[in-house]
Amino acid sequence: MSDPNKKYDDKLRPHVYDGIQEYDNHLPNWWLWSFYGAIIFSVIYWFSFYDAEIMKSDTDIVDAQMAEVEEIRLAAIGDINSDALWQMSRNPGFVESGQVIYMEKCAACHGPDLKAGGGLAGVNLVDAEWIWGNQPMSIYDVVTNGSPDKTKGMQSWVAELGPKKVSQVVAYVLSYHTEEGMAEATTLNTPVGL
Amino acid sequence: MMAQPRKPSLDSVTSINEDGSRFIIHPADAQGNFKRWRRVTALMLIGIYILLPWIPINGYPAIFLDVIERRFHLFGFTLAAQDMWLLFFLVSGVAFTLFYITAFLGRIWCGWACPQTVFLEHVYRRIERWIEGDAPKRRQLDAASWDGTKLWKRLLKHSLFIVISGLIAHMFLAYFISIPQLWQWMHEAPTEHWGAFVFVFAATFAIYLNYTWFREQLCIVICPYGRFQSALIDDDTLNVAYDYQRGNPPGHVKDQEAGDCIDCKRCVQVCPTGIDIRQGLQLECIGCAACIDACDEIMDKVERPRGLIRYASDRNLEGHATRWIRPRTILYTGLLFLGIAVAGFALTSVENVVAMTTRMPGAPFYVTDTHVRNQFQIRVVNKATVDTTFNVMVQASGLTVPIETSGFENGVTVTPMDERNGTFVVQVPREAFEGSFPFLIEIEAEPGGARIIREVEFLGPDPRLLKGD
Repeated sequence: MSDPNKKYDDKLRPHVYDGIQEYDNHLPNWWLWSFYGAIIFSVIYWFSFYDAEIMKSDTDIVDAQMAEVEEIRLAAIGDINSDALWQMSRNPGFVESGQVIYMEKCAACHGPDLKAGGGLAGVNLVDAEWIWGNQPMSIYDVVTNGSPDKTKGMQSWVAELGPKKVSQVVAYVLSYHTEEGMAEATTLNTPVGL
Repeated sequence: MMAQPRKPSLDSVTSINEDGSRFIIHPADAQGNFKRWRRVTALMLIGIYILLPWIPINGYPAIFLDVIERRFHLFGFTLAAQDMWLLFFLVSGVAFTLFYITAFLGRIWCGWACPQTVFLEHVYRRIERWIEGDAPKRRQLDAASWDGTKLWKRLLKHSLFIVISGLIAHMFLAYFISIPQLWQWMHEAPTEHWGAFVFVFAATFAIYLNYTWFREQLCIVICPYGRFQSALIDDDTLNVAYDYQRGNPPGHVKDQEAGDCIDCKRCVQVCPTGIDIRQGLQLECIGCAACIDACDEIMDKVERPRGLIRYASDRNLEGHATRWIRPRTILYTGLLFLGIAVAGFALTSVENVVAMTTRMPGAPFYVTDTHVRNQFQIRVVNKATVDTTFNVMVQASGLTVPIETSGFENGVTVTPMDERNGTFVVQVPREAFEGSFPFLIEIEAEPGGARIIREVEFLGPDPRLLKGD
């Protein structure tokens, strides 16, 4: 320590690259400790993530959230039956919401007057003939899961609309019918959704 | 033993002791023109930082990066997530501006505008000075044993630091959730908004730790800008520099042989990163000009001309004039205008509305007794501040087959900042179908008159299959 030049020589590392040399100064302690901390953290993290299952993996988190979505969906369906749909179809607020959805999504095929025809792709929704069942729950099922006949182009709407909007749009269609009238209508195939 | 100011050397960093522990730098106060203008600049910048979320423009804060709704309001201009590509101009623009300014003025950003310097020198260190006194007093307090005076001074200082760090963190969050939302969240339980609460808590802690303890270490060890310095500056770049020709050799004021530097070490005492500017340009130098003020004050006292330490380029120090116009700055200026032109063109091409077409889930096409049918979903986004109606049609020109469409007959009206997903069905009569063909869907938005055109493919079976029966 008495000779400052000697210390200087010791600190200078022998290697030279392109004329550049470096000193062997002590790294800042805060830097070292953050580095040691990162090593310790990585071990704990690795252990808790992959071995101890203390932390949930991404797959578990997604699965849990999907289960939650499914639970809410099932709960909503549980409340829905033909009687409930009839009640909704007599509620102006419900029918109005359903109309907005209908005009945006359904009118392209079933027509703004629900009669289809004139080259439109869909089926008439206000006549006395139902292809997949004359019960409200059958209509609900077709909107939710799509037409059982996959060549017709009626897609499953539940992913886009969710159960609540599906029931609103079904209520809008039912608002053109009466319970008695529907019961007398013909059904062409085995009814679905019952 | 009280820590004395360390003698800076080019071999190591002053703020790190030989054993790796921190050496706390207590810079003395320098008074002067640069100090005054830096303070004005800093207060203005802090004012801008605090005020931007409060100023409403077109119904939204001047800057509101609404990450929840994915809408970005910038000075009355609203961008959606779909406009994210414009971020290219922001990122490359900021980087280029740094290059451009550095070519002329060196690390002017560090000393005058960087939040690290602005908050540290003009807020935190001012409070520290106010409570603990000037540099020698602060050193004394560091060395003193923990008596009542030290305890209350430190308590007061750290409490104020935490409060201010909290304010900075809250203002930062306000840029992303807006002031009213922030105010509301602050009145609700932390459990209601865990994410935001943890963020503000962690940010407050990080800001507090940074400005209380970490300080110049960020500039010296972490910030890449200082490391770029060696590549970004050249012989004509202005730096805070010591005029070695005039100053050397340092000596007593009465020594006729000595240069103008009287070796008073005032420039070393005021340096916030602990360097001796007389040893030349170093990466620790943040260009804060404190040593310029300090030296000018001394030069006035010894009645020698100011500017022994000043903003000067290497060429200037060698006795020549700084060349402002040189190939590099000409090239940079050209690139700057090119960048501004391209960014301006890109910004003006951003529409207030967005429309996208996708094929509906299910089969790619349907064949009925009369028609071949393709089903599309058209997603329209209204970024404008008024209701917008979208009309959709197929461009007829150039089509060889008759086409029938349904959906969007009466248009779809979308409220501001909302989006809709509507069904659009395209049909071709069976006998007219001659095979798949591309066609254009045109989406018109009123008011505004924006027209968005999307090319899609009409798909169908081999036409021979349809004509067989």
